[in-house]
Amino acid sequence: MAQLFRPGANTAFRLGIIVAVSAVGGLLAFSYFYVRSDWFWRVGVTAAQPIPFRHDIHVSGIGIACAFCHSTAERSAHAGMPTAHACLICHSQILQGATMLEPLRTSVALGQPIVWASVHRLPSFAYFHHGAHVSSGIACETCHGRVEEMPQTHKVNTLSMGWCLDCHRDPANHVRSAEAEIAAQPGMRRLSASKGQPIRGSPLRAASPLTNCSVCHR
Amino acid sequence: MTTPAETSASEVASIPLSPEFGWGWLLALAASAFMVLVLAYSIGALVFIGVGVWGTNVPFVWGFDLTNYVWWIGIANGSTLFAAILVLRRHSLRTAINRFAEGLALFAVICAGIFPIFHLGRPWLFYWMFPYPATFEVWPQFRSPLTWDFWAIITHLIVTTMLWYVGLIPDLATLRDRARPLAAKRVFAAFALGWRGSLRHWALHQRAYRLVAVAVIPIALVIQSTVAFEFSVTLVPDWHETRLPLHYVVSGLESGLALILLAAAILRGSLRLERYISVEDLDLIGKLLLANSLVVGYVHMGEIGSALLAGSYTQTATINRLVGDYAGLYWGAIALTVLLPQALWSPSVRASNPGCILIGLGVTAGVWLDRLSIVVGGLQRDYLPSMWRMYAPTQPEWYLYLGTIGLFAALFLLFVRYLPVISMSETRHDEHREARS
Repeated sequence: MAQLFRPGANTAFRLGIIVAVSAVGGLLAFSYFYVRSDWFWRVGVTAAQPIPFRHDIHVSGIGIACAFCHSTAERSAHAGMPTAHACLICHSQILQGATMLEPLRTSVALGQPIVWASVHRLPSFAYFHHGAHVSSGIACETCHGRVEEMPQTHKVNTLSMGWCLDCHRDPANHVRSAEAEIAAQPGMRRLSASKGQPIRGSPLRAASPLTNCSVCHR
Repeated sequence: MTTPAETSASEVASIPLSPEFGWGWLLALAASAFMVLVLAYSIGALVFIGVGVWGTNVPFVWGFDLTNYVWWIGIANGSTLFAAILVLRRHSLRTAINRFAEGLALFAVICAGIFPIFHLGRPWLFYWMFPYPATFEVWPQFRSPLTWDFWAIITHLIVTTMLWYVGLIPDLATLRDRARPLAAKRVFAAFALGWRGSLRHWALHQRAYRLVAVAVIPIALVIQSTVAFEFSVTLVPDWHETRLPLHYVVSGLESGLALILLAAAILRGSLRLERYISVEDLDLIGKLLLANSLVVGYVHMGEIGSALLAGSYTQTATINRLVGDYAGLYWGAIALTVLLPQALWSPSVRASNPGCILIGLGVTAGVWLDRLSIVVGGLQRDYLPSMWRMYAPTQPEWYLYLGTIGLFAALFLLFVRYLPVISMSETRHDEHREARS
């Protein structure tokens, strides 16, 4: 009877097993690092905005506080975006005819908000409340990074669920003292607590742990 | 010179190697392939439209999906457990039924696995059940029956496949040697893993086969109990019972035995395997099924008795299952799983193919009614009267259920066509021993 396979078939078969196993292993390893990469989470990626707004000029340069424009960050779920009128407090005098500020004037004329491109966007099943975080002593920059140094706004953190949990499991390390808070963000003056302690009445002191599913997924 | 053992091997081997298989097989395959299409349609409807196409809703969150899952996994457990015991006992019955019993178990696990995955709502995320390092940094809830299902099915699939495949290896080598077309030879050769039939091969093979069989026994019992715990851990009055694992193990084994009896009767009739699956073999399985049905009857009586003693909600729920809106399911199950097998007391029924086929079908259907009675009837009288309503499966649920039966039939038909349904190596082994003594 003729041989069914060439002499090298066994080697090829064994090689095939090794290749298949390492291919699966490689794929798993690749996926592991890929879903943790900044590229996957668009960290450091800027978005095209209707007006080339520069945080570095407005915050570091002029000294406008975060809460001046994002006025509801202390008490509501959304930090809030400034209305065109808020911009025009200054820009009715400064750069008043500039073409790059054209969307501002259109917005006022039509009564339509400016369509900014979101950089920090959580999925709809994650319930995030800015007020709950700010009033518990979480600084803006803990999540958003040094926005005051950014010519163009971009994410510095992944905003993945694991990243949220890193803090929710052990919030104490991420809470700033009230003094530092006030020094860093002149707009946030309602905070009052002794140094290094979570603010009284904040959920950090509540009995129910911050890692409960229903804290964020309602 | 041909020994009787070689004749027997060539008879069995000639079935998968014959170029023609008759129009009956083709017709059956076409019918089951059509049902597989129905399965694909129902899964497609479920994935694209959502679980709303099913009739499941509070309180019947587990309607057909869990009924059918429990039913299929019971069949798988029953037949694989029985096959493993035969391997370990080196019982003469193993030559007749082990190969196809292991096959039945494997195909039943495949059908069982479909339901837990597609009842998830978002089935494409089923891998979240696996504890892998995800970026959301949360492990699966190990106290949840959903994760137990995942491990039960994966373990079952691996172990059942191994039992079936390890047993097949020497026979695949026989087919390799007897097949005519080169392509067929090569396929069989690849799956025979270079089997040459040396003493060392046989010794290792026996060790591996028996090792897997040993593993099957605790695994089948544990998995079947796990399935029962999925019900017991809830606070539903009729489910929150320690007797449930026993009930599931016993009736699961009964459905497995019934399907083995059914398949044995069909195979010996249609493939003329009377010499290998003898009347004595049918007789033995029939007696076992009869004994098992008595145990099932005993378990049912214990169930009623303990519920009556328990009082309160358990009593109300159980009585409702017995005489309420879904009483038909319960008494249908009793009639088919306890009363119908009593016909097996008669030796002439045990020896007749049609009798075995009817009883096999009846008991399998009866166990299905029993599962439906527990899953649906058990939920009907919950604590909250505002939740007291009825459940009826929708068309897509029926299609999914019938589709898995089609898938099971299709897999079995292909198995019968392309692989030896009787273990040639074990048959030769026993025939040699008989010839020597």
